[in-house]
Amino acid sequence: MTLYIVVPLLLLVTVVQTALVPYLSIWGIFADLPLLMVVSWSLLQGRREGLVWGFVAGVAIDVLSGAPFGAATLSLSLVGFVAGLGQATVFGTHIALPLLAVFLATVVYDLLFLLVVRVMGQQVLWLDSLVRTVLPSAALNAILTPLVFLPLRLVHRHFVRKEMEI
Amino acid sequence: MTRERLKDVGLILLIVLALAGLVLHSTGLLQPLEDLVVRVTAPLQETMSQLASKVGELGQTVRDLRDLRQRNEELQAENDRLLLENVRLREIQHELALLRDLLNFKQANPSFEVQGAHVVGRDPSNVQRYVILDVGREKGIEHNMPVITDRGLVGRIYEVGQGWSRVLLIIDASSFVSALTQSSRASGLIQGQEEGTLAMLNIPQGETISVGDTVFTSGLGGNFPRQILIGQITEVKRKDYELYQEAIVQPTVDFQHLEAVLIITDFAAIEPEEGEE
Repeated sequence: MTLYIVVPLLLLVTVVQTALVPYLSIWGIFADLPLLMVVSWSLLQGRREGLVWGFVAGVAIDVLSGAPFGAATLSLSLVGFVAGLGQATVFGTHIALPLLAVFLATVVYDLLFLLVVRVMGQQVLWLDSLVRTVLPSAALNAILTPLVFLPLRLVHRHFVRKEMEI
Repeated sequence: MTRERLKDVGLILLIVLALAGLVLHSTGLLQPLEDLVVRVTAPLQETMSQLASKVGELGQTVRDLRDLRQRNEELQAENDRLLLENVRLREIQHELALLRDLLNFKQANPSFEVQGAHVVGRDPSNVQRYVILDVGREKGIEHNMPVITDRGLVGRIYEVGQGWSRVLLIIDASSFVSALTQSSRASGLIQGQEEGTLAMLNIPQGETISVGDTVFTSGLGGNFPRQILIGQITEVKRKDYELYQEAIVQPTVDFQHLEAVLIITDFAAIEPEEGEE
């Protein structure tokens, strides 16, 4: 998908993530829309595009986040790349694969994010963060995966694969 | 007597009967006959009258229905308009209550110079606790300025831009605030916890602290003014073999529903170092 679409799309999703999503929290935990989109697209289109999407979304998050700049860019790019390794197996398989991928991706992303934040000098409560924030948000993201993955898969089937066939 | 003569007699008889009827009626002698006639014809009259009335009502109903339909449409439109107006007024009322609380706080604490701001966004990740405000450098906001509401301490300005600023909330793990308990004046360090509560650390073992104690900023370290409410102790963790005891503090500020804050603009905070504020 062309960058002219990807950049505004991920920027818009990140703005929605800061302005709206935190107000839809469950017990203080809310979904991570940019992460869901990056991992979903990465599973559909492969690691190269996953890396690009992760990079673009990461930059958007870093600009709007209070964390040290680069924490989200680095973490999300890596997660986007690794998630793309699952591309070959996603077609024709149960929705459980993307769910599991998102769960693992959230855990890896959050831990990487915290690691970068710690290296840059901020305090991190590792065990508390893992138990009270990382794992619950991974579970929430996994539950919400079909809401993001299935529409993206539809877009992928109708637009991207057709382009490739041409 | 011929037929013509009989007819004439008949006519004269009718006139005489009519005159007789007039006389008899005025004397009251015709009353029994009149009663009988009325008694016989009354049910029929009543039925006819009801029928006429019903027909009349039907016509009126049709007219009323048309009028009611039109009135209903007008009222529905008015109702919709009032509903929207009601929603708008409730929002204004809510905003007014919020701002009144902040104004009351400002009036109760005239020593503070404050700048009001609205929360327009939050950190996009679950692992960081920041909010974004709609004021920045153009309003004189600077790095490290304390941020409060009428309910207590919120955090400090972490980043400032033109027209925006970012606040590090006290419930973030990288936030540290020097604090005191109200009753025993025990000092400690408040750090944010993952679940949105606070931990008061490094409280000397000899100090008496208990559940329900109120916790304020101590002003030590110079990064926050003194006596700003932080929260209330909900749990005390004490181990005899340790040098310090800890307490869990429930913040008085509702960080989940933060909408408007005050930034203290005339307090010169000292730049915090890592691990201490």
